[in-house]
Amino acid sequence: MQKHIISLLVEDHPGVLTRMSGMFTMRGINITSLTVSPCEQDGLSRMTVVIDGPDSVLEKVRKQISNLIEVVRVIDLAENRAIIRDLCLIKVHVRDAEDRSTVMQLSETWGAKIVDATLDAVIIELTDEPRRIDRFVDLIKQFGVKQLFRTGVTAIGI
Amino acid sequence: MRKEKVKLTGAEIVVEELKNEGVEVAFGIPGGVLLDLYNVLYGDDTILHILMRHEQCAAHAADGYARVSGNPGVCIATSGPGATNLVTGLANANMDSAPVVALTGQVLTAAIGTNAFQEASTFTITMPVTKHNFMVKRTEDLPKVIHNAFYIANTGRKGVVLVDLPKDVLATRVEVDLHQRETFAGYKPRTKPNKAQIKKAAEALANAERPVILAGGGVISTDAAEELRHLAEFLGAPVVTTLIGKGAIPEDHPFSLGMAGMHGRIYANRVIYECDALLALGTRFSDRLTGWQLDQFAPDAKLIHVDIDAAEINKNIQVDIPIVGDAKLTIADIIKSLEKKKRADMNAGKGKNLSVWVQRIKEMHSACDECIKDVGRTGSSISDRFIKEISAILDDNAIVTTEVGQCQMFAAHYYITKKPRTFISSGGLGTMGFGFPAAIGAKVAAPDRKVLDIAGDGSFLMTCQDLATCVENDIPVVVCIFNNCYLGMVRQWQELFFDKKYSHTCLGRTTDFVKLVEAFGGYGERVEKPEELKDALHNAFASGKPAVIDMIVGWDDKILPMIPPGGGLTGMIGTERCKNI
Repeated sequence: MQKHIISLLVEDHPGVLTRMSGMFTMRGINITSLTVSPCEQDGLSRMTVVIDGPDSVLEKVRKQISNLIEVVRVIDLAENRAIIRDLCLIKVHVRDAEDRSTVMQLSETWGAKIVDATLDAVIIELTDEPRRIDRFVDLIKQFGVKQLFRTGVTAIGI
Repeated sequence: MRKEKVKLTGAEIVVEELKNEGVEVAFGIPGGVLLDLYNVLYGDDTILHILMRHEQCAAHAADGYARVSGNPGVCIATSGPGATNLVTGLANANMDSAPVVALTGQVLTAAIGTNAFQEASTFTITMPVTKHNFMVKRTEDLPKVIHNAFYIANTGRKGVVLVDLPKDVLATRVEVDLHQRETFAGYKPRTKPNKAQIKKAAEALANAERPVILAGGGVISTDAAEELRHLAEFLGAPVVTTLIGKGAIPEDHPFSLGMAGMHGRIYANRVIYECDALLALGTRFSDRLTGWQLDQFAPDAKLIHVDIDAAEINKNIQVDIPIVGDAKLTIADIIKSLEKKKRADMNAGKGKNLSVWVQRIKEMHSACDECIKDVGRTGSSISDRFIKEISAILDDNAIVTTEVGQCQMFAAHYYITKKPRTFISSGGLGTMGFGFPAAIGAKVAAPDRKVLDIAGDGSFLMTCQDLATCVENDIPVVVCIFNNCYLGMVRQWQELFFDKKYSHTCLGRTTDFVKLVEAFGGYGERVEKPEELKDALHNAFASGKPAVIDMIVGWDDKILPMIPPGGGLTGMIGTERCKNI
């Protein structure tokens, strides 16, 4: 199993997302993450899809997705040839002043921002490569994570 | 481009655009949300509307019409059950890459998603069974949507496009430009093959000592039969076909070895195994063709795969020389390249002698031919002889459609097809009930030609209500039922692979098919012996009515030889009667 980041340029029409995800469903492939947003061209959107699967199957799916009428371009982004980012929002429990200061210090070291704070919790925002976010989340877990949100990967080729 | 604004209702725009696309026939059934559309069709004499009795048949008829005429077939169904009934027919056409445009009614745009009366989410339901589909939200969009529907259905790898039309979109009157067009940046079907790949393919074929051509549906849909025959003769290569490719080469041609695959001819499969270069044209290497032991599929061959759909390359079979392109253009280019090479080789005093291979092909051809042409000889069963009779009686232009199962494979194996677009069968989806409505579409496309459906008693009952359509609209197709009172193909598998436990496959003999067709107002006759078929068929065609011939065949008839499930091309069973050469 290998992780793939597929970048799609698609027509901004209703149903495009269903068509695209339907292709993965048909092949029994699970989508790990998915982002959709407008892009530099009017009427088109960009999707970044992260999936796990054998290379051989993914190559077939990539071609079938290229066949969709509303898909303009499909690129399988190699990790070392792309800038890859994920955004994470974490609400962390802080029991006391010591916890609070450790969490704040760690956040600063990792380049994360404290975006909200209450008496017993802080909300941290971190934008980074998914792998670094994984590590940060692992680290912060010991304080007690109340909620965790990740946007999923967006990526741009270099 | 002309620019003129006119004030029309959505329904009027749809009909105008259908005419612009050259549509002459539509198969459909009206309904509540389609009243506006049918109001425009009332009294229209440009588009012949055939009122069907079931929407599935409307889709199959459009499919049959498309395969025979080469033009997109059109079917119309109302919202909800009308649309869901279409689905099987759409999936069938799309699997076999037949160009079909389906128009469906939809509830008011404001009511969509509220479980309104006769509402179904046609757009999402049909997404996986169409090449593309549209849900029209604004009447102004109709001209470009209808145009694109036909453009997409009939270009590249052909397929089904559905347009979902909400009631208010059809009823609203707007000022529109009927000639507005819009293209999809992501849809650029590639038809012209790559020159470097053509050169490689020509080289591989020219260097081969045992070249073989495998012709699929792409050869038929691009009308490349002439080019194919020329290439086969030029190369000294035998042609085997897929089920959908049947008719790509006249099957009485000495280089034709018939259909390959699970129920193919033994020598069609053998040459695929023996060849050292295989040129596969417009085929997707379905499992029914390749078998399941892929190491027996052209193991020693340079594999050249020509397909218009890039997604088919290396999907089911890994190939050596992929060519993305239209079969007709590609064959023409390969011939040119080969001719050039041959001239150069002749000048250099080189050139290969394929006479041993050609001799072997001719022997293989006649070994099967004896069995297939000899009307008096019973092969594995009496059913063979009925097909041989049909083959002997029908002329070269007659169109044969088939249902699915044993009757279909008997037809594929024994019916000698001489021309493209004269053998119409449900390949990919394997839809029982396809043949009869497809015959309706075929007869409408070619009213002057004989159209005959090779049916089973099981499949015919799935769509037989459209006998009423035939009688009402004077569409005299002939249905030959291979009546074995079983779901024969399943029964055959139960006999061979499931210890003869005939679980729920016996249909019984209580249905009187002669009375059935007579009740509809058609002509019926029963025959019990193959030699009686000639007169019965004569009577059926002479009656000028839709007709059913109930042919009593053996309950335990089997279509053999076959590749058993899990087997490969060299592992056919039931080959005892096959001549060994």
